[in-house]
Amino acid sequence: MCCTHSFEEVKSEPLSPPVSLDGIKGMKFFDPHVHMTSRTTDDYQAMADAGVVALIEPAFWLGQPRTGIDTFRDYYSSLIGWERFRSSQFGIKHYCTIGLNSREANNEALAEQVMEILPLFIYKEGVVGIGEIGFDDQTPAEEKYYRAQLELAKEAGLPVQIHTPHRDKKGGTTRSMDIAIEHGLDPRMVIVDHNNEETVKEVLDRGFWAAFTIYPFTKMGNERMVDIAKQYGPERIMVNSAADWGISDPLAVPKTAALMKIRGISDADIELITYRNAITAFAQSGQIDEKDFATAGSAIDQSQKFEGNTILRGGQQPRIDKSSIIIS
Amino acid sequence: MDQIKSILKEILQVNVAPDVFTWLEEKRPLNTAFALLPRKTGKAVVNVTAGQSGQLDAIIPGFTVDGWTIDRLGRAYLLLNLDTADKDAYFRVIENLFLAAEMGELVALYSALPLLAYPEIWVKRCSEGIRSNIGSVLEAIMYSNPYPAQNLDQSAWNQLVLKAFFTDKDINKIIGIDTRANKELAYILSDYAHERWAAGREVNPKSWRLVGPFIDDKLFEDIKRLFEEGNLADRRAGALAVSASNYQPARTLLNKYPELVTAIENKNLSWDTLTGN
Repeated sequence: MCCTHSFEEVKSEPLSPPVSLDGIKGMKFFDPHVHMTSRTTDDYQAMADAGVVALIEPAFWLGQPRTGIDTFRDYYSSLIGWERFRSSQFGIKHYCTIGLNSREANNEALAEQVMEILPLFIYKEGVVGIGEIGFDDQTPAEEKYYRAQLELAKEAGLPVQIHTPHRDKKGGTTRSMDIAIEHGLDPRMVIVDHNNEETVKEVLDRGFWAAFTIYPFTKMGNERMVDIAKQYGPERIMVNSAADWGISDPLAVPKTAALMKIRGISDADIELITYRNAITAFAQSGQIDEKDFATAGSAIDQSQKFEGNTILRGGQQPRIDKSSIIIS
Repeated sequence: MDQIKSILKEILQVNVAPDVFTWLEEKRPLNTAFALLPRKTGKAVVNVTAGQSGQLDAIIPGFTVDGWTIDRLGRAYLLLNLDTADKDAYFRVIENLFLAAEMGELVALYSALPLLAYPEIWVKRCSEGIRSNIGSVLEAIMYSNPYPAQNLDQSAWNQLVLKAFFTDKDINKIIGIDTRANKELAYILSDYAHERWAAGREVNPKSWRLVGPFIDDKLFEDIKRLFEEGNLADRRAGALAVSASNYQPARTLLNKYPELVTAIENKNLSWDTLTGN
């Protein structure tokens, strides 16, 4: 349905079962990690149709390094401004986390300036955490700004969304948690992201939230996710798409829910893993009011309603007829 | 502005709990207070008495806080509490709020433009706001906001009006819509109508409100088209437009529709009632 179609052909593997989201019709989903600035309106529409009612967009690396402070400012500003508005057009409540990502922490001159402007953004409405921060190469500079941002999170009383590294993942994950504890953060305020079979046990045992990114080829597949859910149960586990500018799938959360349903996981557990746990974790920011998205047709907030847009789930934007060759 | 400030203060006092009002009055860094404010005040729509609305309108004609949420009002109040003595510092402080603002803050900032000191220094900022594509931000500038009509030059004003048409805003809520009407805008709107007609799309009948006073040989062709090919709303709009014109051939045409002439004379038909809202 999304971006994997041509890859399946290239790899000439047996076709997987066709997407059917029938089993999860009527369920609501919360995607706590998705980079919507990199996605199209088609994705928003598909997410709304599949039951995604709210999402969190963590501040991250844009695929190439930024060279000046103003582009950082504009990016943060777009997360709380334009992107939030775009999302609202599809009836999806948009939250974000704000932080200096690990890769760009390595440009220390710029990182210093970024640290100076972060306080301008972290107290904004709808900012539900400091993120995504943590390690990439695990350099000293990364560690320095990771620590500084943990302090910032503590001061602001905000949850932390930790990106764990692709390389040396297990060691990097352990180290990230060690440092968070060292700074006196309550593990319940820390969401450790991009887990896999190798990292999940320690994360849960130490009392942290364990997030799993369902992302084709490089991170978790959802069949493996179903096995993890069966093994560990739903407590403190959540899934996200981390869909971005790479080959990724903004429907990863609903698709994983559908697969869980097919493979016999209870509706109650599916709800925890694909909706409730993310809300519980990030609502510790005091910035999530479930009423804003939990009921169909609920207006985003009073000021939004007042502007005359009573935002209806998925009904706000005019639909284009994709099956027609005519564009009017 | 002291009068405005005391009226807003009075409204705030009855709309927030006493401890929240105390919080609003305390000195603290503006950036944080401005961002944090909704966590303290909530976002309910404020209750404003007719008397208070009347007072505000008497001091700044067209300005109202009716329908504002409490956070929007609270933020405007914070801005009124700023020290205005040093013009450059005052500008920098507020401009920085704009640069890091989320949507709710942008709405509060733009709708507070008529309350700010040194009106002339906010012209560029206001023009920039009109370039926004965020509906609530545009409405904060366009609706019940007397700043643009009083301060924008003609080309920026025309952009505001065109943007309002492009984004389906309610033209009737723009303060100064008739007083700032101008020939250039009338011609641009005529061109815009032709573009829409060519594309087989509808033309907002309220466009003709801004064309009426400038009807000439060329614009009259559009008016004729409204009467000859338009629907009822188009004909009514055409009639209203002509009623603002002294161009004789247009008056002659209108007289062929005595029921429209009567409706306008009896005030049964106006731009406010054109489309029944």
